[in-house]
Amino acid sequence: MKIKSIHILLAITIIIGGGILLASELDLYNTTRIKSPRKTVEGVYDISGTRGSHTLEEIEKYYKLPPSSVIEAFGLRPDTDPKYFQLKDMKEIFAPVELEEEEYIVETDTVKVFTSLYLKIPYVSDETFYLPEKTVNYLIENDKLTGEEKEYWQGHTFKLEYLDSKYLTASEFFKVVVEEAEEFKVTGSTTIQELLDYGITEEKFEEVTGFKVPDKKSGSVRDFVIDKGVEFGEVKDKFIE
Amino acid sequence: MSKKSKNKHLIRLAVQIFFLSLITLISVNHFRSEQGLVPLLIGSPSLHAVCPFGGVVTIYTYLTEGAFVQNIHQSSITLMWLVLGLTLLFGPVFCGWICPFGTVEEFVGKIGRKIFKKRYNTFVPSKIDKPLRYLRYIILMLVVVNTAISGKLLFSNFDPYFALFNIWSSEVTRLSLLVLGLTLIGSLFVERPWCKYLCPFGALLGIFNFFRIVKLKRNEKTCINCKACDRVCPMNINVSASRIISNHQCISCMLCTDEITCPVNNTLNFSVLGRKNPKEDSEKDSGDKIKESISGGAK
Repeated sequence: MKIKSIHILLAITIIIGGGILLASELDLYNTTRIKSPRKTVEGVYDISGTRGSHTLEEIEKYYKLPPSSVIEAFGLRPDTDPKYFQLKDMKEIFAPVELEEEEYIVETDTVKVFTSLYLKIPYVSDETFYLPEKTVNYLIENDKLTGEEKEYWQGHTFKLEYLDSKYLTASEFFKVVVEEAEEFKVTGSTTIQELLDYGITEEKFEEVTGFKVPDKKSGSVRDFVIDKGVEFGEVKDKFIE
Repeated sequence: MSKKSKNKHLIRLAVQIFFLSLITLISVNHFRSEQGLVPLLIGSPSLHAVCPFGGVVTIYTYLTEGAFVQNIHQSSITLMWLVLGLTLLFGPVFCGWICPFGTVEEFVGKIGRKIFKKRYNTFVPSKIDKPLRYLRYIILMLVVVNTAISGKLLFSNFDPYFALFNIWSSEVTRLSLLVLGLTLIGSLFVERPWCKYLCPFGALLGIFNFFRIVKLKRNEKTCINCKACDRVCPMNINVSASRIISNHQCISCMLCTDEITCPVNNTLNFSVLGRKNPKEDSEKDSGDKIKESISGGAK
């Protein structure tokens, strides 16, 4: 049988197009969430398998690392929701610092090193040689560093600088919320509580999103609406209209 | 190229443009999604999620640990199997018809062809070209082994495809931008340089040329040795030298076939191996007539 271009077109449509449709039906074509990190030969989750898309809640699930420890050690907002906060979000919070003529960013690998030190799970990083001073102090206060580790990390610290004032920690949190209220804009990190604090009524919230205000108001509006199948871009400006 | 053959050529071009547009749209949507904007028309998966090579690099981790390496999704595994199935049947159709990066190289190559005319795609001396064609197998092995060991998607650090469609992203490394730039410049001189020398996925798919079910066959009885097939082949394969073309570099673009370029019907086409072309004998006479007319009747 002679094969022509039209046959190849049909084959692509049937095999690739049809295959994707069939795989979707069988739940074998997932383009979004990737889950568990790989395990080591000892059967524990390998820290190097931690991904930027992992939330603090997932980190707790896999490594038994309390989200409160990350929140406190990195000076995140106390109302940070472990269910929605992804490790890669760190990059959006902290300003890069220059150390030894190289730009240093607080990001997923920084949390990996922290997790390794906190839980005593081996992890060798080829990126993180400095930790925020706040993080090192937290580890020392909680007696998580051995003498050698303490000596090294105390000599390899830097000061955390926030990119955006709204991420400031507990002591300045109240002040920041008041400042934000003057020029309010719903962004990806705005929490439901912030929305209500600004003066959006529960009725208005329900009118815009189509759903009642949830009991847990510390989650972001963006994650809430996406979870409900509503596009964030479609609703974010409607709150303040 | 006749009007009829141009139309046939348009089928592949349409498929190429479709997949190039699809990947561009996915890339734009991913960017929009990160900015909190609504994706257009379709969803906003990451580029890794729609790349079948992701399935290849994660296969070891997937089989041994049941997990994916960083940034790889289940869809990559599914796409890998679908593409391998397609390749087992028709050869590396993915390279010649679907891969958006191959399409971009081909489009840039059209500029090179206009500039250099017949000299285009003939710049690399055979002595260098032949061994370089095996470089992609070394890259394939290095990528698969290192990914299995590290659990990280190391290939994206120098992947020009990822760099091209993620150029707005901070995830793109300088090295991959450099590789992208060199590939695009190289495409002005050589057709599909990335595919020929460096692409690890092309290397894997190329192996299927040795046992693909639908083979590219040349009918020696009717072939007039005009070498049109050799000249049109983007991968510089010496098509006119074999009866069954199983070169590992073939990308199943069909440019050489009698549907598009070969001037004698039923002489060079894709067909299922082992089945005799019923028209072969009847075409023999017409082939002989063309041979006679070209050689002035001398045999």
